[in-house]
Amino acid sequence: MRYVIVGGGVAGTTAAEELRKLDPESEITLICEEQHPLYSRVLLGVYVQGKVPRERTFLKKESWYEEKKIEWLRGVHVDALDTQNKFVALSDGRELSYDKLLISSGKEVRTVEYDQRGVMYFRTIDDADHIIQLLAEQGKDACGGIYGGGFIACEFLNIYEAHNIRTVLTFRGEHFWNSNLLPEAGELLLNHFRSKGVDVIAHAELKGLVGDKELEGFVTEQGEHPCTMLGIGVGILSDFSWLEEAGVKIGVGVKADKFLQTSVADVYVAGDISEFEDVYVGREMNVGTWLNAIMQGRVVAKNMTGEPTVFELVSSYAMNVLGIDIIFVGDVAKSEADDVHLVGSVRSGGVTQVFERGGRVVGGVMINRNTDRKVITDAVKSGMPVSDVLNKINT
Amino acid sequence: MPKIRVRVDEDLCIGAASCVTIAPETFQLNEDNKAWVLDHGEEPGGSTYERWLEVTEDEKENILLGAQSCPTLAIFIYEEDGTQIFPEM
Repeated sequence: MRYVIVGGGVAGTTAAEELRKLDPESEITLICEEQHPLYSRVLLGVYVQGKVPRERTFLKKESWYEEKKIEWLRGVHVDALDTQNKFVALSDGRELSYDKLLISSGKEVRTVEYDQRGVMYFRTIDDADHIIQLLAEQGKDACGGIYGGGFIACEFLNIYEAHNIRTVLTFRGEHFWNSNLLPEAGELLLNHFRSKGVDVIAHAELKGLVGDKELEGFVTEQGEHPCTMLGIGVGILSDFSWLEEAGVKIGVGVKADKFLQTSVADVYVAGDISEFEDVYVGREMNVGTWLNAIMQGRVVAKNMTGEPTVFELVSSYAMNVLGIDIIFVGDVAKSEADDVHLVGSVRSGGVTQVFERGGRVVGGVMINRNTDRKVITDAVKSGMPVSDVLNKINT
Repeated sequence: MPKIRVRVDEDLCIGAASCVTIAPETFQLNEDNKAWVLDHGEEPGGSTYERWLEVTEDEKENILLGAQSCPTLAIFIYEEDGTQIFPEM
């Protein structure tokens, strides 16, 4: 059996490891766009904050791939897929045939149209190295700008705080995560950021940068904001063109059933790029979390080796931002919910949102209410009535 | 049965919940959103980030998988003689 895996992040690498266990005699090829062995994106923030050394972020050694007899192709990507003749064409001109193919190529950062030295993105370890370089160049007048209202903006908030850099935070909407948070939760977060000395500016669409050689600031609808470095976190996207040309069904991700099988025979998907049938929340989901990627990597390997296994996971993402805990569990899209119940308040310093659809709980957001996490996770799994969940977390 | 020591570094743990998902009998998140170490779902002697466990080979394998899945490598596992088996040194 010949397995080809496109993408060497945690989903693809976990799948390769699992395939080697399940099918010791098979040929496995892992195609990676980056040059580095597997590292933890989750640790990059901590690394940039200076709390762990760079080598700690690596989860595999270079020698691991050979030890596991996994052919590791670095610095290449796939240009085309032929699902009839079952091969992929690589950027270096080679063609690789497969019996089973896994797409786990993840996502890339969405960039803004303006660029200047001092502008930072945060997705890869190369980005992290770049940020550390810029941090080292900062003088005593350093000021950190942020443009974005999501998890990457939170990473920059923590990075600036760790390096004692004055911070101006700008984003387009009313508050953070406009498609997930109710106004109360949004207010709670922004109040917290302000209490930590962050200059918070909402409704601020980026209009340009200031400075010729060095970054001196950025401009939004709300005015000009001086800064010496600017962190951008405006989302991620995928290049689906080679998959669409091959006839693989695409939505917001690569469409898959609950076995992570795509619309094309012998082609599977896992990780950030998948849009899969989520058996717990009852709709197709595209989830960009570590937990989702690693668990899909494990399950997809079973399915690729002919052991039908349903992907079952209540996904979650947790982060501490400037001392406040934020947890997302399950399906937290306001637009997909019949109702979003609010527990707690800005005054009490903690808020939980319970997302209801079709009479059951499908997700939750917790801000400084960590203990509600287990109740909501269990409820998404078990289909416990919404009123019971609300009673439980209110007491 | 093998005896192992399991330790969660509370400074590194961020509540990603991968250990809890893979090995819920050994790890459970607490109110600080960090993982306590449990002994087969129980907490003899109270809640703790570190304890000795007597486990079967299968259970040991699964706890190792839980540790390997941690995005911050916050879980440390030691053999009875004190040798660290994860993360590999």
